[in-house]
Amino acid sequence: MSKTKKIKLSETELIDALRGKQKIAMEALYDMYSASLHGIIIRIVPQDEIAEDLLQETFVKIWNSFPSFDSSKGRLFTWMVNIARNVSIDKIRSKDYRNNSKNQDLENTVNYVDERRNTSINPEVLGVKDLVEKLKPEQKSILDLVYFKGYTHVEAAEELDIPLGTVKTRLRMAIITLRKYFN
Amino acid sequence: MEEIKAYIESGILELYIIGELTQDERLEVENMAAKYPAVKNELTEIEGALEGYVDQQAIAPAENLREKILKSVQYSGNDVEAKVITMPSKGGFTFYKYAFAASVVILLVSWAALFNVYNKLEDTKLEMLALQSSNQKYANQANFFDKQLADSKQALEVLANPDFKMVKLAGTKNSPLSSITVAFNSKKQDVMIDMTSMNMPENDHDHQYQLWAMVDGKPVDLGVFDMAADTTGMKRMKAIGNAQAFAVTLEKRGGNQSPTMKLMMVMGSI
Repeated sequence: MSKTKKIKLSETELIDALRGKQKIAMEALYDMYSASLHGIIIRIVPQDEIAEDLLQETFVKIWNSFPSFDSSKGRLFTWMVNIARNVSIDKIRSKDYRNNSKNQDLENTVNYVDERRNTSINPEVLGVKDLVEKLKPEQKSILDLVYFKGYTHVEAAEELDIPLGTVKTRLRMAIITLRKYFN
Repeated sequence: MEEIKAYIESGILELYIIGELTQDERLEVENMAAKYPAVKNELTEIEGALEGYVDQQAIAPAENLREKILKSVQYSGNDVEAKVITMPSKGGFTFYKYAFAASVVILLVSWAALFNVYNKLEDTKLEMLALQSSNQKYANQANFFDKQLADSKQALEVLANPDFKMVKLAGTKNSPLSSITVAFNSKKQDVMIDMTSMNMPENDHDHQYQLWAMVDGKPVDLGVFDMAADTTGMKRMKAIGNAQAFAVTLEKRGGNQSPTMKLMMVMGSI
């Protein structure tokens, strides 16, 4: 399995292949984005098995609802990330999930995942350390709450006990920091 | 422009990218993005930033998940076939392509070699024919000499044998320059014509010369012969023990019962 050649396509090629429902599109989609999408899902839903099911659900949804993707409105990646987030958030809000994982403290999910996996914001990984240092703690927490825990900005305002406007500003500042770093 | 700036700074675009807006709000952002390149540009920047952030925190799922997920969706029919069937055979196809090219090259080389060998074979055949014909020539010559030698030996034996009487037949008025020598051995009843020294006009295809012996005034047939320029040796004729003279007449091919006297060519008495 580890020898399987990873398939990479440009976003245009990938979109064309997805429209044609070609198998190579799914292979490329998986090889290019499964880690990123899994990274999001497992931060929202930390149980491995559930996260894997959700990753599968995410890919099936991406595949089946691809005709509704409009490339003029944004990037494929953003669209897929939002599907992964919505699938995961739907899950943690479902009754059966809440009943089964009452003892799971959602607030600590991100740290829990990162500590357990020893990945993501790992200071040992070159570059990520800079990023963590550049993001102020309040920026990182609002970003993680909204992006990785599936909080709405209204919920995040309540959680952090700050005004809604401040949530928006902090989120914007956090993203501006990211922009300076990545773009 | 100030309005656009304030709109961008309100943070609504970030929420749009994150997917936090209601349907109405979304439409509004999309309208603004379509109208103002600055808004569109801002959206792209936000997307890039979040994509980078998510990428940084990627966690690869278990490896066996790939197969499972790839199987969980439906592909367009011909594509599945195309991938499943043509992909593995692609190597085979290239192999056959190269094999075919190699075959063509080998075929061409073989043709060239075959053509070359054929030409050499033809040359060899011609040489062989030339050798055969010269060989045949020498063999013919050898046979000719053999025959001449045998003829000469026979003639010599006849000439050297005292029992043989040489009878010279001289030309008649029909052919004054003709002459034949007949060797006659009465003891052994042997009659021979010396073909080598024979001097007669050549006979045609319908006629032959016929040798007669005159025995007590009656002609006796001794057989026919031909006159050809290259005839040699002694020709044995029919046997007779007693004769007073010999004569040669020209008769129809195969000879006659009795001689045609007016066509007597040579004669001589013993």
